[in-house]
Amino acid sequence: MLKQLLTGVAFSLSALTLALPAHAEYPERSIQAVIPWGAGGATDNVMRSLAPYVEKELGTKLILNNRPGGTAVIGSSYVMQQRANGYTLLLGAENPQLYPVLGLAKFDYSDFYPVNIIGQNVVVIATNADSPFNSMAELLAAAKEKPNTLRMGSTGAGGLPSTVHAMVNAVGELKVREVTFGGDGPGITALMGKHIDFMPLSLAAAQELVRSGKLKALAVLAAEEVPELPGVEPITKALPDIGEYLPWGPFWGAFVHKDTPDDIKQKLVEAYAKAVANEEFQGFLKNYGAQSLNLNGAEAEQFLKRWQSVTAWSMYKAKAIEISPDSVGIEQP
Amino acid sequence: MSTSKKVPVGEPTFCVLLVIFSLAVLYQAHLISGFSSISSPGAFPLGVAAVLLIAALRVLWELRGKPTHGEGWAASAKRLSHEHFPRHIVVFTLLSVAYLAVIQWASFYISTFAFLVLAIVYLRRGRVLSALMASGISVLAIYLLFTLAFSVYLP
Amino acid sequence: MSDTFSYLLMAWMDPNLLMLTALGTFAGIYIGAIPGLSVTMAVSILVSFTFSWDVNDALALIVGIFIGGVYGGARSAILLNIPGGPSSVATSFDGYPLAKRGEAGQAIGLSTVMSVIGGLIGTVVLALAAPLLGDLALKFAPRDYFLIAAIGLMLVGSLAEGSLAKGIFAVALGAIIGMVGMDPVTAEGRFTMGQMELMGGIHYVVVMIGLFGVAEALFQLHNLSTQAVKQKVDKIIPSVAMVLKFLPLSLRTSIIGVLVGVLPGVGGEIAALLAYDHAKRTVKNPTSPFGEGAYEGLVAPETANSAAVGSAYVPMLTLGMPGDAVTAVIIGALVIHGLNPGPMLMVENPHIFWFTVGNLALANIFLLIFGLMGIKLFAKVVELPKAVLIPLILVLCTVGSYSLNSSMTEVYWMLGFGLLGYFLKAFGFQMGPIILGVILGPLMDSSYRQAMASVGDNPVELLGEMVSSPLSLILTSALVLVLLSNTPLFGWLKRKRKAASVQP
Repeated sequence: MLKQLLTGVAFSLSALTLALPAHAEYPERSIQAVIPWGAGGATDNVMRSLAPYVEKELGTKLILNNRPGGTAVIGSSYVMQQRANGYTLLLGAENPQLYPVLGLAKFDYSDFYPVNIIGQNVVVIATNADSPFNSMAELLAAAKEKPNTLRMGSTGAGGLPSTVHAMVNAVGELKVREVTFGGDGPGITALMGKHIDFMPLSLAAAQELVRSGKLKALAVLAAEEVPELPGVEPITKALPDIGEYLPWGPFWGAFVHKDTPDDIKQKLVEAYAKAVANEEFQGFLKNYGAQSLNLNGAEAEQFLKRWQSVTAWSMYKAKAIEISPDSVGIEQP
Repeated sequence: MSTSKKVPVGEPTFCVLLVIFSLAVLYQAHLISGFSSISSPGAFPLGVAAVLLIAALRVLWELRGKPTHGEGWAASAKRLSHEHFPRHIVVFTLLSVAYLAVIQWASFYISTFAFLVLAIVYLRRGRVLSALMASGISVLAIYLLFTLAFSVYLP
Repeated sequence: MSDTFSYLLMAWMDPNLLMLTALGTFAGIYIGAIPGLSVTMAVSILVSFTFSWDVNDALALIVGIFIGGVYGGARSAILLNIPGGPSSVATSFDGYPLAKRGEAGQAIGLSTVMSVIGGLIGTVVLALAAPLLGDLALKFAPRDYFLIAAIGLMLVGSLAEGSLAKGIFAVALGAIIGMVGMDPVTAEGRFTMGQMELMGGIHYVVVMIGLFGVAEALFQLHNLSTQAVKQKVDKIIPSVAMVLKFLPLSLRTSIIGVLVGVLPGVGGEIAALLAYDHAKRTVKNPTSPFGEGAYEGLVAPETANSAAVGSAYVPMLTLGMPGDAVTAVIIGALVIHGLNPGPMLMVENPHIFWFTVGNLALANIFLLIFGLMGIKLFAKVVELPKAVLIPLILVLCTVGSYSLNSSMTEVYWMLGFGLLGYFLKAFGFQMGPIILGVILGPLMDSSYRQAMASVGDNPVELLGEMVSSPLSLILTSALVLVLLSNTPLFGWLKRKRKAASVQP
């Protein structure tokens, strides 16, 4: 009698354990997050500020790893080569979307799954405080008068300044000498020292210097004035045609391997959505001069597609690149 | 005048290899962007590669007139292997290569411990006990320092 | 005024901050001493780790690690000929020979005291002249960076014992190694031969560990039977007389450290090399010949790299620009804590500036204390039987290389460079010039391109620019002087003068 009872209990208990999910709850260990840029840069700052909030939502540690090099090619390729189990994230900026047309790599963000498009930044055309230019129109006129004499700071192929430069050239004319620096920082220093004449910069990098008067902002790459920089004209004033490309700006996002299981993707999406929406983080973004986007799913994919087509086509029009966006599957904006 | 220090065996051959290497580098540098522009990505590398080649040639030139061992091929090869590849160096190098190859496959701590014990015992010819102790302490120290303190996850 | 004082002394008064600074300095020394563990990496980890802390606490810890780390590299440079970090490369030139002579203890003691002197001078300059220095840093045009790199490369003339041609070959080789990878401007591969893995370049720390660590270990296998030199550890703290004797040199090299450290993107490692070069050229009667254990060869780089720490803060605090890799991370830390580094920082939050100054001074004091502690124990490391030491070095190098990128690729590179370095050494090529090339080559390349692009690819105009500003003029003249001194011209002039003075 007792034996039968015990057997019955044993059987039901084992049946119960079988009913539990086949794999344990994600995440069961810490997650590696790769930042394909150097420590202390804009992407790094945004991701490190966000990390604690994500950790709270996911309930596990995020190990942040900087893998800079090759305009983020190194770090992004690394994540692509890892297993699609949701334990490796890519926390990057906008650059991979340009890889196909720049010939830097054979992939772009469509080979990843966008967990969250966190935010974007506004671009400012900055020049040094004593510069003879006071508006974008004056800069354009000077460049037209003496083509290839003005010096523009740049951060290399695929970087923000060269992309903005291409956009301007697509609708107007800005023939200048491109002087390449290793990043925003050295470029801004050269700008302040008057070794270059102007440089397109992200608001995050420039706002303190503009506010304190060390740099002059000629225009913002937007259709209207931006609240963080009152009095700075929108670029559409001097270049109305550029409006078709706006709004535009460098963005930051969290990505994961395309083949990651759906339930893991879902968990990540939820965690990031909540983390980005967190009031404290929103405050940080605002303080930093960035706009919060917090997109995921179809909206994110649409955003990425649009950004890619606008940027690639304007660069092609400006003859900044030779590879036609058509040939790599990018539709016209 | 010059001291009668003989040129180490193998040096002339090595320097010739360096010249060949410099030519290869020069070629690679040229591949970067040819002679297109003075501020192209290839400009500086081309200049440096040229300096490399000139220096290698000069090194070779300086070897002339210096007394060598003057032996034939076989004797030179023997002297080279005696000087640079005596048994214990070869064994240690092979051990090291094996260690590095095995790290990812067996765990780091195991392979390090094994390597340390084997290498120390081999190089000291015996004294296994103190080798075991030293290896043990070292692996423990590495574990504490790297994994706990710095979160560097060793394989 | 009283506000300033209270900020200055904040780190000294608050027991929490005191402890954190001490902890940071202590940890920094050991992090710096282990090749492969970089201060930059440690600071980045800390930034995330201290996210929820009060900003002063976080900064105190970071400052300690920075100061300790820059100094710590000297330990392994002296004891094992493996620089713990790039800023200690020059320290190994005379530090290791000193250890081989049995004076490792003295060497570490001297480098500690000198680092503290350099560090304090850097802090004082930061406190008094930050805005001035900041403006000076802005005046450096790309051509000036190029000139500095060129002057630094001339150090090869001093380093190449024996054949200058071999030294030049080594420097050029280092420059080529430094340029492997993606071109910063056009993003095309250079020297990559189509391999994707090479696009990221070869990490210079791996080159350093391979050439200095593994190659040296393999070389030492020849001397297995030689007894380890007994280390004299009785008088490790340098006497006051010794410190005073080297004071003029240490002051000069600290100034070099300050000036080089303030330049954004150029840090302690270049300062140390330039300081070593300066010492070699100006000290007529060193305690021993340079490269064989001259104390001056230790004094110069150690003061310079520590002075560069204080001045690296200048562009960070006055302009919001990083002075070197570590301050770049510190800027990130400030941003994360809601502060905005930039010119407004000193106006809106002056406490950060004065707090940092006081903190730096405090960290230097702890450096003195912790640096002098345990020297005897460390010096004994060199006395370990070679059979134990050599495998340990190999393991240490392996761990160090692996921890750079958590990948075995770096370890394999390290082995390759180790083998290459072994043969280069055997045939009379020095490792120092190679590292010189790896560090300075890319700097020369990018600043050359920037300068050339600024003048629209017009070499004539560029040459004209080299003498256009007072700064450029000074640097160009220095370069020409240094170049000439390497040629037989100077030797000929000296002999003429000697002959003339001998004439009755």
